[in-house]
Amino acid sequence: MIDVSRRDFIKKSAWGAATSLTLPAFLHQTLFQLDARAQSLPPQGGEGPILVILELGGGNDTLNTVIPYTNSTYLGARPTIGLSTEHGVLQIGQGQSVTGASEQLALHPNLANLHQLWQEGDLAIVNGVGYPNPNLSHFTSFDYWHSAQPNTEAKDGWIGRYFSNQCSGCDATQAIELATRSTSAFKAPEGASPSVSFRDPEQYGWRDLELVGRDIPLESLYRELIGLDHRVDDGIDLSSEALSFVQRSTHNAMISARNVREASETGGEMLVEDWPNNGLGRDMNRIARLIKGGMNTSIYYVHQNGYDTHNNQSGGNPLSGRHFDLLNTLNGALGAFVQEMKLSGFWDRMLILTFSEFGRKVIENGSRGTDHGAAESLFVMGGAVNGGQFYGKYPDLAEDARVKRDSMDYNIDFRTIYRSVLENWMQTPASAMADIFPNQPAEFNPIAFV
Amino acid sequence: MLTPITQNEWSRRHANHLLQRAGFGGTPEERTALYELGRDQGIGAAVASLVDDLEDWSSLPFPSWSTEQDPNGDLWDGSSERRRSFVNWYMNLLIEGKPLAAKLFKFLVDHLPIDMGTIPGEARFAYFLRFYDLLRKHAGGSGEFGNFRTLINSVSWSEAMIRMLDLQESSANKINENFGRELLELFTLGVDGGYTEDDVGAAAEAFTGRRLYRIQSPHPDAGTVNSKYLAPEGVPAGSAYQDESKQDLLPKSFLGFDRMPGGGSIVTGDHIIELIFADIQTAKHLSWKLWRYFVSPNPSEALQQEMALRLRNNYDYELRPLMKDIFLSQEFYASEVMGDQIKDASDYYVGMLKQLEIPLPGDRSTYTINERLGYNPIYPPNIAGWPEPNADGNEWMAAGSLLTRLNLSSVWVERNFYALNDWGMKQDLEDYPDIDWERILPREMRSPDMFPLLIEKLMDRFLPLCPLRKSQIRRLHDHYRRTSERMDTLEATKELVRLLMALPEYQMQ
Repeated sequence: MIDVSRRDFIKKSAWGAATSLTLPAFLHQTLFQLDARAQSLPPQGGEGPILVILELGGGNDTLNTVIPYTNSTYLGARPTIGLSTEHGVLQIGQGQSVTGASEQLALHPNLANLHQLWQEGDLAIVNGVGYPNPNLSHFTSFDYWHSAQPNTEAKDGWIGRYFSNQCSGCDATQAIELATRSTSAFKAPEGASPSVSFRDPEQYGWRDLELVGRDIPLESLYRELIGLDHRVDDGIDLSSEALSFVQRSTHNAMISARNVREASETGGEMLVEDWPNNGLGRDMNRIARLIKGGMNTSIYYVHQNGYDTHNNQSGGNPLSGRHFDLLNTLNGALGAFVQEMKLSGFWDRMLILTFSEFGRKVIENGSRGTDHGAAESLFVMGGAVNGGQFYGKYPDLAEDARVKRDSMDYNIDFRTIYRSVLENWMQTPASAMADIFPNQPAEFNPIAFV
Repeated sequence: MLTPITQNEWSRRHANHLLQRAGFGGTPEERTALYELGRDQGIGAAVASLVDDLEDWSSLPFPSWSTEQDPNGDLWDGSSERRRSFVNWYMNLLIEGKPLAAKLFKFLVDHLPIDMGTIPGEARFAYFLRFYDLLRKHAGGSGEFGNFRTLINSVSWSEAMIRMLDLQESSANKINENFGRELLELFTLGVDGGYTEDDVGAAAEAFTGRRLYRIQSPHPDAGTVNSKYLAPEGVPAGSAYQDESKQDLLPKSFLGFDRMPGGGSIVTGDHIIELIFADIQTAKHLSWKLWRYFVSPNPSEALQQEMALRLRNNYDYELRPLMKDIFLSQEFYASEVMGDQIKDASDYYVGMLKQLEIPLPGDRSTYTINERLGYNPIYPPNIAGWPEPNADGNEWMAAGSLLTRLNLSSVWVERNFYALNDWGMKQDLEDYPDIDWERILPREMRSPDMFPLLIEKLMDRFLPLCPLRKSQIRRLHDHYRRTSERMDTLEATKELVRLLMALPEYQMQ
């Protein structure tokens, strides 16, 4: 996950060697050292893999995304919102069903860019993803996806544990999330994880009026006061978990601000001209700029919200309404981003994973919408992806629709997806999985989508 | 559990802590007054001065644009100006309201969130104003308000919640379970609160048939509503009613009961709420939330149990008696609690304005600042509302929002109105009053020779619970001496304040 020179650097440094056997080194370093390294090793834009996680908040109705458009249970359960050939669904062939038969599947008509990726072999679809005892609360189910510890009250996140295990000593921008509040997936087992969350790189930095008469810039004085450039006082008060967390977070923010803004400015020129001007479009554009600007970030985390379509999922006809619009936005933003990455030579280093906290029920409700369900389909995209094929099995709709309150059953545990991404894409050794995934599903072998 | 502290423990630090948690802090004078009240008339008097100080909000009316118009709801959402004005109105209530009323109001807004995007334009502000008014009255505790069960029952009839959680589309023959689920999970019993999927279903069935009258806005873009959908004479426009033809009137099983305690069948939403509040789990969940919000992240099981029993059995879900017990308790004043909570966005913003004794800026500025801090009350992150303070990975400390916090002191102290990179905000602040520096630090105290006294005074105002470390004081002293020679003592003082208000320690309360 980190390039060789960086790894060497960490090994050779005295503090790295001294601490690697005990606590995560990130906790032990003085921030002076950390900051010095962040500045002495400029962002390389390296050759390492990049993971972009796109979280679809609210519970995406994947039955209307990866559509079993000839399935009679599906069509019967969704008389007003169902989609079939007459709506121009984009056919992608047959997927295996848990029944043993095969399911004719198609993408939503608004997903033309994803359809093209599928045809090019750069999009894989994983069907039937979920976890045991599905929780239908947005809140809890997201917690489970973030912690990768379903049915427990976890204290940390899977990405936080991954960093603590594999990237001790990494600087603060190993992961970047575009958000005003941090995802709990980043939560480290102890201390602050090497990640930052912000909305807009251009507003990310210390600001002051430059007054005549100051002997040093206030920013420099401030850095000393918080222990960044102070020789003795590292500014971390270990007697309070909360205060030390804020102190570390402040360090992270100050350390990363310079690099982020520089990268964002350097990477500013876009090769794709018609980027969509909406929330997700702007966010994907920001990520593209940071990547092109040479950030050494290995994980980007971005959100598209609004998938909680209890009502008006479809408008008067199924080719309108909230879900229709959301997928249109998704398709446009991903289309521009993928194109930009291809044109600038990053596509083969890129893996994009989409997920939602859960899928939705088979039977539509009384409001041209759907209620919370369980299993869902995931997209995995990238130049190195073994795409154009399905992984996992499509749920048995007839069986699931008979169950009271009709949720779909999973056959691929989402932790397997995470593991596959870490092991097959981020080159994390299999031996690390026990620490990163303290509770594991019975079936936990990596899937070969990459 | 919840044993009151003894009189001889009372200190200035206790008073600072109390005013910070039961409100949004205050000026040195306000904190001193609270300390002396507790010292001279007893801690009970100090706590009572906050808890028994009820608020009916009559001195803080609705925004002018809402009262100038027909109260039947010509509140068409025609521009973003009104959204900004609405948010500023809310923030102003937090600043101007009595301390506990304001803090409890924020607690309720944060835990019963409404997303403005879910409410159509003609009803948006009518519903929001009615809903926030309901919450602020319960937070104020005046008259018949202040009871959590009554509040939740009113919420189940509130237009905003009915609309947001799709209750107006749920009928006996076509159930929408959105409201039923969130009622149990978020508002009362809590996640894993001992209910089943069948209970969610039963609750959803019981609340069927609640409907909203439409609102005919005179705005040209609003379209025409058939008069048969409008509220009858004398009924507020757009209000809620029960359509019995759409209601599921069959008897239900709920939380393991087949009948009500009095023997009747379980049929309506009112029955469901009665059973929910008879369950100790509801009291426990609410106590847990209150403790996390006002005190610390991890109340023990025994403490939750004790609070729950008092809340349900002794206080019948009245909020303020429980708040009084909390504010008197040894646990509330534990040394690991005082000064150990990370401020959320509005704790930070409201507290900052109070400390600097400057007014809330205009609509545009407050809206931008709130958004950058990660708190736009009209667009909650999800139906679970806004995150509570918590130590291990606080969501309010995202790096971008944190940098906004660091830069905000530059806005006020240096009048650096472009610090947030927002041109509208800069224009908005052109006439903004300057800080009264004589009050912050009188001229005669600004001499570098008086630095120990000077920094003491600034810490008392800005860092009353989380003082500077010695190395920081030394560094600031050195800098102050040099700056006051090169520039002048006022500029040097401003620099000190600008830095103090950006420190990690400043994020604590």
